[in-house]
Amino acid sequence: MVVTQLSTRPRHGGGHSAPRSGEPRIRIRDVTLAYGPLQIIGGISLDIASGETISVIGPSGCGKTTLLRMLAGLARPTSGGVELDGSVLGGPNRSVAIVFQDYGKALLPWRTAAGNVSLALEARGCPAKERPAIVRDLLEKIGLGQHAAKYPREMSGGMQQRLQIARCLAQEPKVLLMDEPFGALDAMTRQALQDEVLGLVATTGATMVFVTHDLEEAIYLGDRIVCLQPNPGRVGRIVDVSLARPRDQLLTREDPEFLRLRRELYDLIKDDHQ
Amino acid sequence: MKAVPLRKLVLGIGGLAAFILLWKLVTDAKLVSPVFFPGPERTYVALVKGLSGGPLLSQTFETVKRMLLGWLLASFVGILFGALVGVSKRARAFIAPTLELLRPLPASAMIPVAIAFLGFSDNMVLVVIAFGALWPMLLATVHGFAAMEPRLYEVSEVLGLNRAQVIWKLALPSAMPMILASLRLGLTISLILAVVGEMLASREGLGQSILAASRSFRSADLFAGIVILGAIGLFGSRLLSVAERHLLRWQASSR
Ligand SMILES: Nc1ncnc2c1ncn2[C@@H]1O[C@H](COP(=O)(O)OP(=O)(O)OP(=O)(O)O)[C@@H](O)[C@H]1O
Ligand SMILES: [Mg+2]
Repeated sequence: MVVTQLSTRPRHGGGHSAPRSGEPRIRIRDVTLAYGPLQIIGGISLDIASGETISVIGPSGCGKTTLLRMLAGLARPTSGGVELDGSVLGGPNRSVAIVFQDYGKALLPWRTAAGNVSLALEARGCPAKERPAIVRDLLEKIGLGQHAAKYPREMSGGMQQRLQIARCLAQEPKVLLMDEPFGALDAMTRQALQDEVLGLVATTGATMVFVTHDLEEAIYLGDRIVCLQPNPGRVGRIVDVSLARPRDQLLTREDPEFLRLRRELYDLIKDDHQ
Repeated sequence: MKAVPLRKLVLGIGGLAAFILLWKLVTDAKLVSPVFFPGPERTYVALVKGLSGGPLLSQTFETVKRMLLGWLLASFVGILFGALVGVSKRARAFIAPTLELLRPLPASAMIPVAIAFLGFSDNMVLVVIAFGALWPMLLATVHGFAAMEPRLYEVSEVLGLNRAQVIWKLALPSAMPMILASLRLGLTISLILAVVGEMLASREGLGQSILAASRSFRSADLFAGIVILGAIGLFGSRLLSVAERHLLRWQASSR
């Protein structure tokens, strides 16, 4: 039952048409961040190509959320800078969407699921007549089609998190930042959404930075995996993932390369914890 | 689901009946001279007489009109000004100490000032009502705006909402529970000040009628006026709760 459900999911086409060479979509240049005397991020540099998916892993408190907030323009680096398409990111930007880790606070409790998605459309001046169809489509895609009229309070944590993702997609972003978006989901829904997100990224050509605690999720989604180390947060290793796309929940996870990567990451993390 | 409000209604009516019974017992025992303290029956007779053909109906109308006008004025100014102050940190820092200074002033302290400027007029009463009812709404709006979830502000920045959209779509709805509570408080204050204003400036209305009845020892008429005032307060507050339930239905499940 489980097997058929997974293997009959449509495969996601395309893979990466965007070139890896040329100007990066995001350039992180020697970024540091300190709260007072406390150094949180201690010098991170990374180029992210257009259409690339970066997984970020690292122990709790190492600065993953902080890094994402800087990429979203919500936190200002103490030194260094973030560039989007070659120009310095001065603040939040509609083309960079972020799914917050604390989903409960990021939704408007007085708006229904549909209303919350609609907010992103209202922000970019989408005509009122076109909104309902777009909203319905996005909710359908993310598996909330039946719950359009529900208020966030009436939804589970996982549903709220999916709602946040739908709102981000309504933004039509070039860059999608995700902060442990699937933490509150059961394994099956989680895998279905991993594929959904991969499909959306492939069709829209969006660039994604995906923070997760789950090593397998990091491998399954990513083109590269950035392993952060704590105190202060910095890049420990960057692991390339050469698994073919489109990826498949069963085939990819059985691939010897997948297993090798899992082993490699596991050893890396274990070292960090010693 | 439906049984609970019905039981509440029955309990409420029962309580009211008990209160009237107690009232009757006290007056029948003649603990207080009937000249000053009429029983429920005499009050009821005065009420019916006053409302059918008597002056009570038009006086009630005058008082309600005054109360509503003052309340609307206070709501409009309070919410608008509160929003202007509430959206900006700098405006808050600038104006908040002044507000804190003015707020504890009893509205009655304003009455001589209002009389000095406007004389014993309807407008004077209106200004006193509006001034007294203004504070809870103003402060609730300021605080409601300031208490907006910071994460939502970040969401607005990321989505690229403009300032007007942030106010209209985020700050105002998130301040709404506080504002609605203050509207209810403001309505009570408006009713009190309407009565006081009518007494002081002898403008037509229940306040003046109550005062006149008390001066001429028509205690049944006095109590009829008081009963109507109570009913106005109850009715207004009920109406606002219905509006509140509708506007805050998004929180209903948690209550
Ligand atoms: N506003 C702040 N003021 C001071 N310190 C902060 C602030 N925000 C975060 N920190 C600190 O910065 C460090 C990194 O926090 P961050 O939230 O980025 O970690 P994280 O890697 O996302 O952790 P988790 O996996 O638990 O979500 C933590 O040690 C935290 O205590
Ligand atoms: Mg985090």
